[in-house]
Amino acid sequence: MDERPISPVLKAAAGLMFLFLLAPLIIVIPISLSGDTYMAFPPSSWSLRWYGAIFSDTRMTAAFSVSLILALVVTALSLLIGLPAAYALVRLRPLGAEVLGSLFTAPLLLPTIVLGLAILLVFAPLGLLGTFQGLVAAHLIVTLPYAIRVLSTALATLPIPVEEAAATLGAPPLTVFFRVTLPMMRSGMVSTAALCFLVSFDEVVLSLFMTGPRLSTLPVAMYRHVEQQADPLVAAISVLLVVLTLAVVIVVDRTAGLAKTFVR
Amino acid sequence: MMSIRPDEIQGLKQAEGFLSLRGLTRRYGNFNAVDDLNLDVAKGELVAFLGPSGCGKTTSLRMIAGLAPSTSGHIVVDGHDITGVPPYRRDMGLVFQSYALFPHMDVARNIAFGLEMRKVGKAEAQERVREAIALVRLSGKEQHRPAQLSGGQQQRVALARALVVRPSILLLDEPLSNLDAKLREEMRNEIRDIQKRLGITAIFVTHDQMEALTICDKVAVMNHGRLEQLGTPLDIYEHPSTAFVAGFVGRINRLAGTASGGLAEVAGVQVAAPGFDGRVEVMVRPHRVSLSAYAPPAGDDRYALAGTVARATFAGDILEYEVEAGGVLMKSEAATRGGEGVLAPGTPVILSWHRRDTFVYAAS
Repeated sequence: MDERPISPVLKAAAGLMFLFLLAPLIIVIPISLSGDTYMAFPPSSWSLRWYGAIFSDTRMTAAFSVSLILALVVTALSLLIGLPAAYALVRLRPLGAEVLGSLFTAPLLLPTIVLGLAILLVFAPLGLLGTFQGLVAAHLIVTLPYAIRVLSTALATLPIPVEEAAATLGAPPLTVFFRVTLPMMRSGMVSTAALCFLVSFDEVVLSLFMTGPRLSTLPVAMYRHVEQQADPLVAAISVLLVVLTLAVVIVVDRTAGLAKTFVR
Repeated sequence: MMSIRPDEIQGLKQAEGFLSLRGLTRRYGNFNAVDDLNLDVAKGELVAFLGPSGCGKTTSLRMIAGLAPSTSGHIVVDGHDITGVPPYRRDMGLVFQSYALFPHMDVARNIAFGLEMRKVGKAEAQERVREAIALVRLSGKEQHRPAQLSGGQQQRVALARALVVRPSILLLDEPLSNLDAKLREEMRNEIRDIQKRLGITAIFVTHDQMEALTICDKVAVMNHGRLEQLGTPLDIYEHPSTAFVAGFVGRINRLAGTASGGLAEVAGVQVAAPGFDGRVEVMVRPHRVSLSAYAPPAGDDRYALAGTVARATFAGDILEYEVEAGGVLMKSEAATRGGEGVLAPGTPVILSWHRRDTFVYAAS
């Protein structure tokens, strides 16, 4: 790429913009280190007590396990369903593939609150409310569009002659898929997994409809906590979540290249 | 391998070559991408499929490889009809224009892929991969990924990968088109050497007449999905059987004329045209047209035409004249020898060419 000198004014403007975007995140860090019993900035004393409090709060640790397992299950299912769907759309090109492709992305365009209400109305008579299966199904509705989109793009940009070369070398179709197509889609798979994991782990609106008194995800538990108490506990959790998100992003960057997978 | 003896097929001519195409056709709607292709390739021969883009040469190759379905016709290899056999059971080696290497495998694993599919033992596979790498002069690059290699090196890997399985036929789909001019010439000779050394039957698809003429035993010139002519490079160049072949392979002067009574009149010259009647096209290659100050002696078997120089183009090794004669522009070119100078436009000259260099075709 061309390296052109960037004017200092532009640099300053960009810096201010970043500060604006990151300010809420940055402010959470000092608050999480507060020794006070209520959220205030700046804190009057410093301590790590709220980090300790997370691990003794069983509601929070239980909700974290639910969220983690939920995100892992939803990610695995998204890949498992998304990959054949993308393959069918891109390679087998059934009649109306374009329409189907748009249809599969439709849930992203609907307001989540509408989607949540609709899911509530459908799931309630099925007895899925407040169940883990119900949460999985609800989250899949929002992660699958991402999975199908990203995997379709990954598949569509694969050079077909490479697969044809494998075929002429004696590889039957399934072998071609597992030995050539799938490995070439690695970066697409990694970014799909990361995207689905983060979307599921962050999901609040649908989860609010789906969770019950005995089953809660971490974002919902945090929301309910803030409603009742204004202590810096959630700030400490937020910092840990930012670290977790960064970890996922770094893994994606290392294995697949961030710019290559998300910016496409 | 599922196969049917060709003589079991009703109405199928006995296959004569190692590879025989019989009435091979590929139709898209009303358009015939490949139209009734009949062709025999002998064992160990290198045959070029030559033609402009869209002439059906690549589609033909893909049908032979099993990557594209045929609408009708048969593909027979060594006496076996393989028309319905899927690509992975055809035993063909295919080299693509885009190399099509496996990006996630190193050079050695790319080349070993076909052996792995054929369940060749590990020790033998290693030995054959080593030999193949040596054959394409890439020793030392075994652990490199395709992305770390130059275009020429990648194409060598592709060639080794196709050859290591000892395919019955090697198919090359414009293998040199992505390389620069110098490398192209080097690689084309290398491909020819390897093909001869292994004695492998090969099809070489190209739009470049130089590649076809210089390294192939035979050239199949195609146009609009049809085979225009199959012959040795010499045949194709000196005895083009159609106006298309004459015009596509090498450069040519095209003169329109009318024939009757075995003679065609073009640009004021009577040209022998036995068997032609009505509008004809008479063609002669520019470097077979000589330019002089005097008419050739009678009985010299040469046609002569008086004209004036319209334009002279000096290209270093070649001097080309455009001469206006008998109401048409004719090109004459000759290798420069030094010291001859360049004639100025307007200079009167006599153009002449030999009877045997004159091609006559019915005008389409």
